[in-house]
Amino acid sequence: MTILSICAHGFIYGPILVVLIYNLFNHEFARKHFFWFAGTGAVWQILAAIGGFTALNQNGQTSYAFGAFWDIRLAGAAFFELNATRFLLLLIVGLVALISVLVAHQTVDFNRSSYTNLLMILVLGMNGMLLVTDLFSLYVFLEVTGLCCFIMIAMFRSRADLEGSFKYLILSELSGIFILTAIAFLMMKTGSLRYADLAGLGQRISAGSGQLEDLLVYAALILLISGFAIKTGVVPFHSWLPDAYQSADTAVSILLSGAVNKVAGVYGLMIVMQLFGDVAPVGPSLAAVGIISIIIGALLAVRQPQYKRVVAYSSVSQMGYILLALSTGTTLGLVAALAHILSHTAFKSTLFTNAAALQEQTGTLELKDLGGLENQMPVTAFTSIIAFLSTAGIPPTAGFWSKILIILALWQAGSPVLAGVALVAGILSSAYLIRLQRTVFFGQTRPELAKVREVRGSVLTAEVLLTVITLGLGLLYPYILLLLHAGGIL
Amino acid sequence: MNVIVYLGAGLMLLFGVYAVMEHSILRAAIGLALSSASLSVLLYVLGAHLAALFELSVCSGLVTVIFIAGISLSHSPKMEIQKEYRDKERNRLLPLVLIGVGLLLVILALTLNLQTPELAQLTQDDDVRDVLWGNRQADIWGQIALILCGGVAVAVLFREERREKK
Repeated sequence: MTILSICAHGFIYGPILVVLIYNLFNHEFARKHFFWFAGTGAVWQILAAIGGFTALNQNGQTSYAFGAFWDIRLAGAAFFELNATRFLLLLIVGLVALISVLVAHQTVDFNRSSYTNLLMILVLGMNGMLLVTDLFSLYVFLEVTGLCCFIMIAMFRSRADLEGSFKYLILSELSGIFILTAIAFLMMKTGSLRYADLAGLGQRISAGSGQLEDLLVYAALILLISGFAIKTGVVPFHSWLPDAYQSADTAVSILLSGAVNKVAGVYGLMIVMQLFGDVAPVGPSLAAVGIISIIIGALLAVRQPQYKRVVAYSSVSQMGYILLALSTGTTLGLVAALAHILSHTAFKSTLFTNAAALQEQTGTLELKDLGGLENQMPVTAFTSIIAFLSTAGIPPTAGFWSKILIILALWQAGSPVLAGVALVAGILSSAYLIRLQRTVFFGQTRPELAKVREVRGSVLTAEVLLTVITLGLGLLYPYILLLLHAGGIL
Repeated sequence: MNVIVYLGAGLMLLFGVYAVMEHSILRAAIGLALSSASLSVLLYVLGAHLAALFELSVCSGLVTVIFIAGISLSHSPKMEIQKEYRDKERNRLLPLVLIGVGLLLVILALTLNLQTPELAQLTQDDDVRDVLWGNRQADIWGQIALILCGGVAVAVLFREERREKK
């Protein structure tokens, strides 16, 4: 048993163990101490991702295959696989879970036990999606994440919660139907759903005869892209996203924005690109959806009257950047997409944590009721500005470097027009964020907000932690670029 | 054989539409169970015996029991969809849309001749134990997660019920 093996199995066993142990305690004790159980699960995920990646590198391996029940030397027992990309996404899942727990400590009250259980099952679902090597298993874990999110949004039972969760449920199920139909088509075509068996399929289709069988695979591709695009929340599949983000508790919104739409949506599209990227329509389709999302998402964000809705539409726009990077199909494109996923996780989670702070201290997130909170809530204002700079792609933040990488990837892939549009669209991001900052933090303090004070405790810790990550990554990126250059990727 | 397949598919669609359109939640749950039972027949006739067994016992049986238990715990006396939603004009067109989609899928299936030798081979040759414990091991973890999630969902509803009664 090696460190790598312990970390790898920990991604599967860890969340289940937390759920089992947590439910051994009596309800009141569990409710009171939920922070430590959920926090331990999240910290374990972060440590396992860092430890596992370090061990993988030290062993000189690029990937590690394993089976959860028994030794992989038995035929057909390696159902899970880890590599650098998956480790990064697993780390993001852990980080977002930890931030969510910190926020939930102050925002979630009577549903703490359910929150803890659902959070751990959600982490298991996302881990499963990231670890499996088979398209149908991916679908199974996708359903796990979808079901968890639906319950978590609806958990607090207000009318808005139920409406948001209903929209999420309907579109999530639609996405599931699309993906399952695509899986059935691919199964009929190839007889296998393992990534390894599907990998060469794109090449065969490209040189295909144009008969009905090829139509079947093209239909599967359209359904797969549409299904995962719904989960990503990009235009024109975004209608569920603002309502779900707005109505859910902020601790849940952080999970949805920071991890779920990246793992359930973007990662799924990464798999599509990996398997079928060499088929002509796949890359351009992602590019088209990406560019439309960037522009429409930003334009819609400008008009929103509520803090979380602005941040939600901002997510729609930023997801567009990630799809644009993926659409290149190059190694640099993948690196850029991953870099922006990491940056987006940090700055969008900061903005949602700011929302939790504002909600806690002022009791509202309606922009018309907020204003001039700069002096009352200096840390929240500062962290919000850093997140804004990162979203707009202004140095020295993480968002600047990840957007530079996206533009470089597009340029390198021979798409200077898309690179130009991505560059200019950054101005739109600045527009809605400047409006948000000005309305909430600057200007004359509203009389009814005169007694508002800075948030304390775990929400403040989460704000500071995320800002340190955003700035830290910004300072670290030049070294990452040097490594990419040395590796011949840049 | 073909008659049973088309009859099963037709009944499944019909009961599905009934489940969506019915105003009484209890009757809707029964409609869903019947739709699921029709699917079980379909799966059995097409050779997926284990899937048919699971569909009949879990989806048609267990899920219906959970639904009915949930409905019986509901504080709504009539267990009916509220009048304001019932009278929506668009509901009248919904069955036509659903039946249209169903027919479209049947035409697509017939046009593309979807049954393939690989799939038939798989159902005939592979032992159930090999499929479940050997080939689909990862899915078992997914199933465990889904069961846990369903358990928590029921717990959330029950606790809410107790809280509201207080």
